[in-house]
Amino acid sequence: MMDRTIPEMFHCTDLTVLERQKARLNWQQEHLQQQQQQSFFSELSGVFSSVPSYQSGGGFISGADSELGEVLARAVKPDPGLENGWSDMGFGPCGGYGSGSGFELNYTLSGTSSCPPSVAAEATVMEVKDKMSSAVGRESFKKRKADKAQCPKVVDKDNTKEKRIKGSAEEGDSKITEQNNSLINRETSADTSKDNSKASEVQKPDYIHVRARRGEATDSHSIAERVRREKISERMKYLQELVPGCNKITGKAGMLDEIINYVQSLQRQVEFLSMKLAAVNPRLEFNIDNFFSKDVFPACAATFPTIGMSLSAITDSAYLQFNPANQVVSCCGLDMSINPPDMGLRRTVSVPVSIPETIMDSSCFAQLQPPSTWDADLQNLYNVPFEHGTSSSSFPFQPYTGTIEGSILKVEM
Amino acid sequence: MRSSSSLKRDFLKKWVTSLQICSFSIRGTSVLERKKAIKLSADLAMASARKGTTCWSRALIANASKDDNNKVLIEHILGSHEYERSKQASIGSLMCNKRIRCKKILKKSFRMRRVPKKSCEPRMVIASSLAKRFIKKRTQFLRSLVPGGEFMDDISLMEETLDYIVSLRAQVDVMKTLVCATELVNCN
Repeated sequence: MMDRTIPEMFHCTDLTVLERQKARLNWQQEHLQQQQQQSFFSELSGVFSSVPSYQSGGGFISGADSELGEVLARAVKPDPGLENGWSDMGFGPCGGYGSGSGFELNYTLSGTSSCPPSVAAEATVMEVKDKMSSAVGRESFKKRKADKAQCPKVVDKDNTKEKRIKGSAEEGDSKITEQNNSLINRETSADTSKDNSKASEVQKPDYIHVRARRGEATDSHSIAERVRREKISERMKYLQELVPGCNKITGKAGMLDEIINYVQSLQRQVEFLSMKLAAVNPRLEFNIDNFFSKDVFPACAATFPTIGMSLSAITDSAYLQFNPANQVVSCCGLDMSINPPDMGLRRTVSVPVSIPETIMDSSCFAQLQPPSTWDADLQNLYNVPFEHGTSSSSFPFQPYTGTIEGSILKVEM
Repeated sequence: MRSSSSLKRDFLKKWVTSLQICSFSIRGTSVLERKKAIKLSADLAMASARKGTTCWSRALIANASKDDNNKVLIEHILGSHEYERSKQASIGSLMCNKRIRCKKILKKSFRMRRVPKKSCEPRMVIASSLAKRFIKKRTQFLRSLVPGGEFMDDISLMEETLDYIVSLRAQVDVMKTLVCATELVNCN
C-alpha cells in the first residue's frame, strides 16, 4: 500500500472517477467514525502502543523516512499506519481503502489539518523530524495528532521556500514550476476538499505561470508580449523539427526563410504533380470510376486486360514486377506503388523479368479471380497504412506481408 | 493531430470523389484546364480532409467558393451544410479584411512619422530594427503563402503553417503515388 501511495501522490493520480468516488465515500464513513472515536482516543493510545501491527507500521514509516527524507512524504505517511492500526483494532471499515489510497491520504491530511491548531502551534520542522524518527510505536496518540496537524504546515512552508528559491533562480524551468503548482493546488484542495468536488484534485492550473526575470518589465503589457514571443518561439521549434534542413539554422529570419522555401516548394510540387497528372492521364475519370465504385467491379474483373487503367490493376502489375515468382494477387500492392516514383522505377529496372510477361501474369490471374477479391482489394486499399517512404528500412517487409495476405485470401477462396 | 497515414487516406478518398465529380467537366479540354481542375480538387480534398478545423482549410474553401464555377464541386465535396458554413466564414474573412486595411493605414501613418527619428539612433538599435523588419517581411510573405494567413496573428500563423505543411506533405505524397501508378500503366 505504501509503495503505491507515494508515487500516486507525486504524479497526477490516474484513478478513474469511480474509484475515486468509492474511496471518498469510504473515507467519509471512516472520517465520521473517527470523529465519533475522538472521545476514545485517550484510552486508545495505550492500546495502540501495544499493538504489534501498529508498531510495524511505525517502523516502516521511519525506514521510509530515512529513504525519502521529504517533508511531504512524511506528512502523508503516518496516516496509513494509523489506518492499519484502526483496522486491526476493529474500528471502522477499511475495505476499499487500497483502491483509492492516494486520495484517501489526501483526505486524511485535510481531516487532520482541521484539528485544533492549539495542539501543535509551536512545533518546528526539526521537531517533526525527531518525532517521526522516534515514532516507533511508543508515542501517544496526542503526539501523533500534533504531528499530523503540523505536517501540512510544513509542506506549505517547504513550498513557499521552494517558490522563493525559484523566484531568484532562472525562469526557464517551467516544468518544475508546473509540478510545484500542481502540488500546491493539491494541497489546497486537500485542505478544502471536504465539501469540494473531486475534480479539483486532478485539476491543472488554468493560468500560465509567468514570472518576470530580474530587470524585466512587470506591467501586464510587456508580460503578455513576452508570453506571446515565447509561444511563437515554441511553434518555431516545432516547425524547425518539421522542416528538413532547418535545424542547423539559428535566427528567426533564417528559419522563416527556410519555412517559406519549404512551403513554396511543396506548393510547387503540388502544381507540378497535378500538371503531370493532367498531361499523363487524359482519361483520368476512367480509372477512378472503375476503381472506386464497387458496383462496377464485376465488369472490371471480366474485362480486366482491356481496361488496364484501374488503379488496382496498376498496383497488381507493379507488385508482380517486383515479385515475379509469386503469382499472388497482392493486397499490399498499393504499398509498392506508393513509393516515390524514382524508387518504383528503379525497382522495375532491376527486375529481370520483362514487362509483357508480367502483364500476362497479372491478366491471367485476374481472370482467374472471382470478383470478390477485387472488393477485398478495395478494402485493403483504403486500409493500407501509408508507411512508405519515411523509412526505407521497413521496405523489405512489405512484399512479405503481401504474400502472406495473398495466401490467406487464397485459403479463403 | 491525426497520424499522417489516416490523413492521407482521408485525402485520397475525398480527392478521388472530387476527381470523379470534375471529370465530367475536364473531358476534352486543354492540359492547363485539366491541371487547374485537378489542382483545385486536390486542394479542396485536402482542406476537407482536415474537416474545417483549421483556419487555412476554411480559407482555402472560402477562396475557392468565390469562383462560381467551383461551387458544384465544393458542394459535392463538403456537403451542403458545410458549404453554408464556409460561405459565412468567407463573409467573416471579408469583414476581417476591411479591419486589417484600416490597421494598415494606421501603421503607415505611424511609420511616416517615425522615419526621421531613426537617423539619429545608435547603430545597435538600427541593426535590431533591421532584423525586426526582416522578420516582419518574411512573416508577411509567409502569410501570403498560407491560405487565409492574412487574417491571423503571429501565433496562429505559426500553428497553421505547421498544420499546412503536414497536410501539404501528405498531399504531395499521395499525388506522387498516383502519378507513379499512372506512369507505370502507361509504360505497359
